[in-house]
Amino acid sequence: MVADLPTLLFNALVWGMATFLVAAGLTMIFGILHVLNFSHGGFFMIGAYVAHSLTNWSAAMANIWGFLAASVLAGAVIGIVGLVVDRAVFRRLAHVDGAYVLVATYALLLVCNGFVKLVWGLNVVSASPPPELFEVSFLGNLVLPHYSIFVVVAGVVVFLALEWLINMTSVGRLIQAIAIDPWMARLLGVNVGLIYSATVVIGFALAGLAGGLLVANQSLSPDLAGIFIIQAFGVVIVGGMGSIRGAFLAAILLGLVDSFGTALLPQMPGVLFFVALAAILLIRPRGLIASGRLS
Amino acid sequence: MTKLTRRALLASGAGTALALSADPRIGVGQTNEPIRLGVVTPLSGPQEFIGSFVKNGAEVAVDLINKAGGVRGRPLALEFRDEKANPAAATTVARELLGMGINLQFGTIASTVALAYGPLMQAENGVNLTCGAGSEKINHENYSPHVFRIGDGTYRMRAQARMMAEKFPDVTSWTGIIPDHEYGRTVWAIYVDGLLEFYPKITGKQPQIVDPIIVPYGSGDYRNFITQAARTPARGIVNATYGGDAATFFQQARPFGLFNNRILMDAANEFIVANALKTQVPKHWTGTHWYYAANSSPVSKTFYEAYVAKTGQKMPMGWAGEAQAAVAAYAAAIAKTGSTETKAIIEALKGLTFDTVTGSRTIRAEDNQAIKDLEMIQIEPDAGSDVGFKVSDYVKIPGAGVIEPATPGKAMVLRKPS
Repeated sequence: MVADLPTLLFNALVWGMATFLVAAGLTMIFGILHVLNFSHGGFFMIGAYVAHSLTNWSAAMANIWGFLAASVLAGAVIGIVGLVVDRAVFRRLAHVDGAYVLVATYALLLVCNGFVKLVWGLNVVSASPPPELFEVSFLGNLVLPHYSIFVVVAGVVVFLALEWLINMTSVGRLIQAIAIDPWMARLLGVNVGLIYSATVVIGFALAGLAGGLLVANQSLSPDLAGIFIIQAFGVVIVGGMGSIRGAFLAAILLGLVDSFGTALLPQMPGVLFFVALAAILLIRPRGLIASGRLS
Repeated sequence: MTKLTRRALLASGAGTALALSADPRIGVGQTNEPIRLGVVTPLSGPQEFIGSFVKNGAEVAVDLINKAGGVRGRPLALEFRDEKANPAAATTVARELLGMGINLQFGTIASTVALAYGPLMQAENGVNLTCGAGSEKINHENYSPHVFRIGDGTYRMRAQARMMAEKFPDVTSWTGIIPDHEYGRTVWAIYVDGLLEFYPKITGKQPQIVDPIIVPYGSGDYRNFITQAARTPARGIVNATYGGDAATFFQQARPFGLFNNRILMDAANEFIVANALKTQVPKHWTGTHWYYAANSSPVSKTFYEAYVAKTGQKMPMGWAGEAQAAVAAYAAAIAKTGSTETKAIIEALKGLTFDTVTGSRTIRAEDNQAIKDLEMIQIEPDAGSDVGFKVSDYVKIPGAGVIEPATPGKAMVLRKPS
């Protein structure tokens, strides 16, 4: 166990950052729109398929820069889809009971599944990382796949970018203001609708970007929508609903729980994740960082 | 060429049915109405991919029989229902079909669904033929006279263990990658049973069984489990994860070199993982219900050609063959008994020998388990191939030599490591 400590820590970090990448968009949309978007996993899945198709389509995408470009393009495509979803669905749900929001976003998830089957079929497919990320380094007994390191770096970069956007830019301050009190923001002349739309686009783009960045991390099939989503919801809940910083901390914390849980209770895989989820919520019902949304 | 194989099919695949249908003394009623068979299989949800092979296989098998004149002059017709690999959904649609008078059903591939059928079919007087469910309980402690396993079941893992002992006598330490559910735990238990029986018999060595790595179903990150597996001294690994889970597991295991110096025996993914990973697929063995390229019988060839013509898929998976076997079993049973009534069909199926894409099968009368040949293929990456991999070895083991004793109503007694 002690000898495996570095491996467990590294694996925890990879799990945490992969989950944070998926959870970031979920947190953004909940933070300002207060919409618990069940379809997030579906758009993450479509982002992964789009990135996969792009990397297959052009040989220019067969290196790390092409891989990153495909991920960003996947993010852009899903961001545009987010704009449509905002107009067609989210705005219509702004003044209805939360239960309808859950039903509508679940329906969107089914649409995503159907779309993937229609366009890409039922076959399980996979993508390899670009050659630069295909190798492995060793630190003593610690195995460090370059793609896993890339996932960790990508998670940290996305977190820092969101921190910068939300805390250091005027748009970010407007987003925070609207998240706390949209009525007052509207009185002060802020175009709340525009900021809402921008947030949805960012949230969806993050789902697409996560799909692209993680495309070489798992196989692609119509089941992919559900693969990360329970963990991502766990991260959002433990972090404090709508808190990017909280989601980041929760991703690392739950990654550690999952990693050590596997080593300590090998016959009950994943059980400590749910135990920790329940325990943290009993102690801090509003999550780790509950001071304000989009903190 | 096509005409020749069709004639060959007449002589073998539907031969039994046609020969009996020529007998004017007995017939299925006095009508030319189609005989309806219910296909209850996953057409959506996580097992839709496998269900699609069952659906296409059933349609191709029925088309071939109908083109050859049907059963006793009556065509077969299929009524599909989606069971979503969910027992509640499955029993609902199965009951609906029973209400429509469709008492002869097949298509089940999930163990939980197959187990749910026993009481239902018994209570409502139907028959179900499972096309791939793996739990040993189906023909042992949860045996129902109304449920038949038309394909290989429990004993395929015993055959796979026996083949490992024959091919790799020095690989005596084994562990498993086992999904945390009924199917996964059954696969491991039966494989261990096979290892403990066949290694001592064939190699004279006692196998060392290392605790399996239990993994959650539908996980996105297997690194901790891969690390666990890499730490074990086992030189052989049996994998029971399937579909996208297996592809993800193999994909994430590659950088860790988990399979580099180990023998990998996959339970039942057939070409699913290889198609996904292509040149990145690790060299491994996998069990298959039917490997089209190695079965040269007229039934297999005709079915393969018709399947490719219908679907465009040149590498059909074995579940299509299991659907063909189910249709062939019903056709032969109806032809034999001259009736579609449940009681008559159950009596006809017990002890029935019929032709399928994998050769002749016989249904063991005591526990409704078909005895068929077990097939295994070795897959390895091949950059020169269009699909990125190739089948580099193939083994067929007669089922009679590895099937466990029939104990309907009683749990199967399994060997366990001391």
